[in-house]
Amino acid sequence: MSAQPAIATRGLTKDYGSGRGLFELDLEVRRGEVFGFLGPNGAGKSTTMRLLLDLIRPSAGSAQILALDTVKDSLAIRRRVGYLPGDWALYPKLTGRVALGYLAELRGGVDERVRDALVERFDADLDRPLHELSTGNRQKLGLIQAFMHEPELLILDEPIAGLDPLVQRSFHELLGEVRAQGRTVFLSSHTLSEVERVTDRLAILRRGRLVVVDSVADLRKVAVQRLEIEFGARVPASEFRSLPGVRKVSVEGRTVTISFEGEADAVVKAAAAHEIVALRPRETDLEDVFLRYYQAGAAE
Amino acid sequence: MNRPSTAIALRLRLVSAVSGAVGLIAVQLAVGALFPAIGHTIGKLSIPKGVAQLLGGADYATITGWFRSEITSIYGPLVIGALAITAAAATTAGEEEDRILALVLAHPITRARLVASKAAAVGGVVLVVAIGAWVGMIAGVAIGGGGISFGHMTAFAVHLTFFGLAAGALALAIGAGTGRRSLATGVAGAVAITSWLIYGFAPLVSALGWLKYLSFFYYYAEHDPLTRGVGVVDIAVLALVSVMLAALAMVGIERRDLRA
Repeated sequence: MSAQPAIATRGLTKDYGSGRGLFELDLEVRRGEVFGFLGPNGAGKSTTMRLLLDLIRPSAGSAQILALDTVKDSLAIRRRVGYLPGDWALYPKLTGRVALGYLAELRGGVDERVRDALVERFDADLDRPLHELSTGNRQKLGLIQAFMHEPELLILDEPIAGLDPLVQRSFHELLGEVRAQGRTVFLSSHTLSEVERVTDRLAILRRGRLVVVDSVADLRKVAVQRLEIEFGARVPASEFRSLPGVRKVSVEGRTVTISFEGEADAVVKAAAAHEIVALRPRETDLEDVFLRYYQAGAAE
Repeated sequence: MNRPSTAIALRLRLVSAVSGAVGLIAVQLAVGALFPAIGHTIGKLSIPKGVAQLLGGADYATITGWFRSEITSIYGPLVIGALAITAAAATTAGEEEDRILALVLAHPITRARLVASKAAAVGGVVLVVAIGAWVGMIAGVAIGGGGISFGHMTAFAVHLTFFGLAAGALALAIGAGTGRRSLATGVAGAVAITSWLIYGFAPLVSALGWLKYLSFFYYYAEHDPLTRGVGVVDIAVLALVSVMLAALAMVGIERRDLRA
């Protein structure tokens, strides 16, 4: 595997004014890894991807993909990259079959067997016009077109959006196979839980600036987890407030919601002293991760 | 040029192009059928010179004048101009606004090559409409009793083709340069109409007479292909303008950010 990173940006900036855009992004994505790019809507994730594909040009800084300059060598890069835009679109009157046929011709060198295997894997509907397809079925076609030429690097903007759980599982398996082949995936999401199972490392972006790049395991350590516990009877919040790592406790009827850092051991053991009707883990809120990093930065 | 991109663009515009061609055939069949009655009752209208110029001389007494007034001055350029402009604006700025270009241009094709492919598709639309206008005129004139030579009818179709190409190239340049469909359609449409009005009225004011040389319509109509055949210089001007505008479209889209 080449020592050159799959993606390397240096001070990459796209300034749209009024604080919008992407600012001084320094990022390296290693070859052969699945890299998650997280942030809330408007954080600059799609802007970064559009810069990498030369759809827009940087205000400052530079980026390299597969050791090629994203502006000067854009055409060579695009031969080796598969891209799924966020909320992708193609001619709505075309059927999936014609649309994929067009994109395959446009790209050249697409192995029909690979394309057919992807169609079968995702159970994609190729016979209806795109405008008649549901969001999920359209997204399947978007994934197929991005993967069908077996690119060295995949840039996927919100690839899981609209996919049902079964297709998500197929997609996660596909990512595993791609990684095993030494190919690289750079994918964005605004939800940590969507990508934490499939990514090696994550970058978090907020308001156009990089907050952190870390492994999923390390991010999870600092992330504030939320657990919703429904008890058989009312339980006072004070039973949890003093536990190690607990940051916030709220009570609504017989349900207690606890936000805590680190391991869940103390919380679960304290809860076990009561009758538990249901345990519901809540999605980790990216804002909590941001806040943790900001607080850590201020403390240093 | 990229053949698959041209083929898809043409395929998506083919229904409207064929509809325009069929419409022009139908109109000319009706115009031809009406001539025996109209020619003898209306004759040559006595109207202001500028208006007469806009109506191709307003001479309804001859079949050449009748077709010049109805088809070469109004229906032909109107249909071909409208279809060329909407096709050019839709295939560039329209696809950008609909987020299609973001995916297509992530493939190994340069922006300039993609725009050249779209220009070829617009050329195809223009050709289909011009063939409809040509076939319609041959049939319409035959129904009206004949009187315009095959060569002169072909010359009209050639002039119409290059007028359509120039109008389409203008919309292509604005669409590719700005990524705004309504701007491309509106400005190109306004220029085409203004060009028609300038052709009619600018010569009436001696100080503004030179303006006619800025009019697409002047190069399309002034030579009068129905009586004098192909005007080589006029066609060359329209061809040169079309090529320059298409080149401008390619440069324009290369130099800017695609709209999100």
